[in-house]
Amino acid sequence: MRGWSASAALLMAVVLAMPLSAQGPRVEPPAGGIFGPLPGSGQSTDPSAPPSVPNQFETPELIVDLSRPRVSITSAFQGESILLFGMFDPPGEIVVVVVGPPARETVLRKQRVLGLWLNTGRQEFDDVPAYYSIAASQPLQRLLARSAGGEILSLEDRMQSVQSVGQRDHDDLTRFRLGLVEVKRREGLFPAAIGQVTIQANRLFRVELPFPSRLPEGIYEVRTYLLREGRIVAAVSRPLPVGKVGFSAQLAGWADNEGPLYGLGAIFMALLVGWAGGAVMRRI
Amino acid sequence: MEIYLPIAEQSMNVFILLGLGGAAGLLSGMFGVGGGFLATPLLIFVGIPPAVAVASQANQVVSNSISSLQVHWRRGNVDLRMGLVLLLGGMIGSSAGVSLFTYLKAIGQIDFVIAVLYVVMLSTIGVLMLFESARTYIRRRRNPEAPRGKLHTHYLVHRLPLKLRFYKSKLYISALLPIGIGFAIGVLSAILGVGGGFVLVPAMIYILGMPTAVVIGTSNFQILFVAANVTFLQAATNGTVDVVLALLLILGGVVGAPIGSRLAAKLPGVVLRGLMSVLILLVAGELLTELLRTPSSLYSLGTRQVLP
Repeated sequence: MRGWSASAALLMAVVLAMPLSAQGPRVEPPAGGIFGPLPGSGQSTDPSAPPSVPNQFETPELIVDLSRPRVSITSAFQGESILLFGMFDPPGEIVVVVVGPPARETVLRKQRVLGLWLNTGRQEFDDVPAYYSIAASQPLQRLLARSAGGEILSLEDRMQSVQSVGQRDHDDLTRFRLGLVEVKRREGLFPAAIGQVTIQANRLFRVELPFPSRLPEGIYEVRTYLLREGRIVAAVSRPLPVGKVGFSAQLAGWADNEGPLYGLGAIFMALLVGWAGGAVMRRI
Repeated sequence: MEIYLPIAEQSMNVFILLGLGGAAGLLSGMFGVGGGFLATPLLIFVGIPPAVAVASQANQVVSNSISSLQVHWRRGNVDLRMGLVLLLGGMIGSSAGVSLFTYLKAIGQIDFVIAVLYVVMLSTIGVLMLFESARTYIRRRRNPEAPRGKLHTHYLVHRLPLKLRFYKSKLYISALLPIGIGFAIGVLSAILGVGGGFVLVPAMIYILGMPTAVVIGTSNFQILFVAANVTFLQAATNGTVDVVLALLLILGGVVGAPIGSRLAAKLPGVVLRGLMSVLILLVAGELLTELLRTPSSLYSLGTRQVLP
């Protein structure tokens, strides 16, 4: 009986904690807010900014911030949309690229064998970003056609530079590459559509960055570019940590680092709930 | 209401998971088998990665079998000696099964093996059960006073060495037989995330010739420890046990099981077995269709490896 009420209390606590932890990050003031950097201390000197960014500007031509400093995967996480907003010195167009941390991906391909579909092909790719999305204030092709110096890559171009592991003929490799993109698209990790950056009053901009529920953890990078006549005149790079927090983080941490202990805990939980639940339900 | 599953790394509707657990519980209450054979494929259908579905379902089986063991133990329906001999095979089998699972996952064939094993197991058992219950039903209708016949049939396997006397089951058979069955169930349990009751129960009745009264209790005894072993090893080696997922399945099952057993009390055994076999065949048919149908996408991803 006691076990049952304890586990019920635990569940209640989890349920109650969910809306709270979901709201948590909203309260936190974003680091380096829109009024943060003063003129002169220009964000364009950011050491993590891409090398092609010119450093000679006296005033910040581009100021960027995110509605949340991080993506917190809580028990209530169902994917999240983060608002990126900022200001720039007109004229110009804005392009935002979000890149997830790279990892090696294994692509499996099914084939019909004796009437049954099973995985027969296998190709590994190195340095595949966990997530890749682009948003722009104008159709991207038009912006890139005027050449952004190869700095801003469309998803297709980015995937062309992904290294394959081992030997495979070119055509087949292309099919695997397309397969990889297809799966990532389906999972919402490579959003198919180019996001729309909206510009207001000729100098304010905003864009929603969509993150799906099945989101790999790690430090993502949000790069914002200011383009004038196809040339990058300013760029700001912001890290965006994506990670589990609270109860989810605790459990995942135990599962990763204390596997055997976690297993015993899982068994104990099952015995407790099964025993107590069985006893209670038989009486009803 | 959605909840994020920390190990499956995705959010899922709470009520779908509670419902799945409830359906599995209902089956376990009605037929005395775990219902995992239904819950695991359904979890995979709703998008839980097979590795997580299997490991978390094993965790659910622990809970399910302790509830039902409570009852059977009190009624004295557990042949402890038989249970321990089965368990000896079961522990070895489930440990080997988890290693095999890890290997199959690494080479990208685990989903296929899970599906094929389910189709083979379920269709065999479904057909056997369907025939058996149909035969019993027809025979009873023709001649309700039919003689009981021998306690059980004697097969060649009864001549194996290492014979042991199982008093409660009124058997004198080789220990190798239950050890072998336990081993096979253990492997199955590890790879499919089921208790294996749906195979174990018929095996105990038809192969070992155990009296029906002690079959459910004894199978639950073996399943409890085998499922605990699978949960432990999956958590320790693969880190694929999602306790949030398991807890939701368990809570659903806790509610479903007594409803199932109340339903079972109202329906005759033959009808129950007939229904069960139809259900098993439906799940097998669905899985087979999945294997035969041209997939919507030929491509899928294996495990993502973050390089140092």
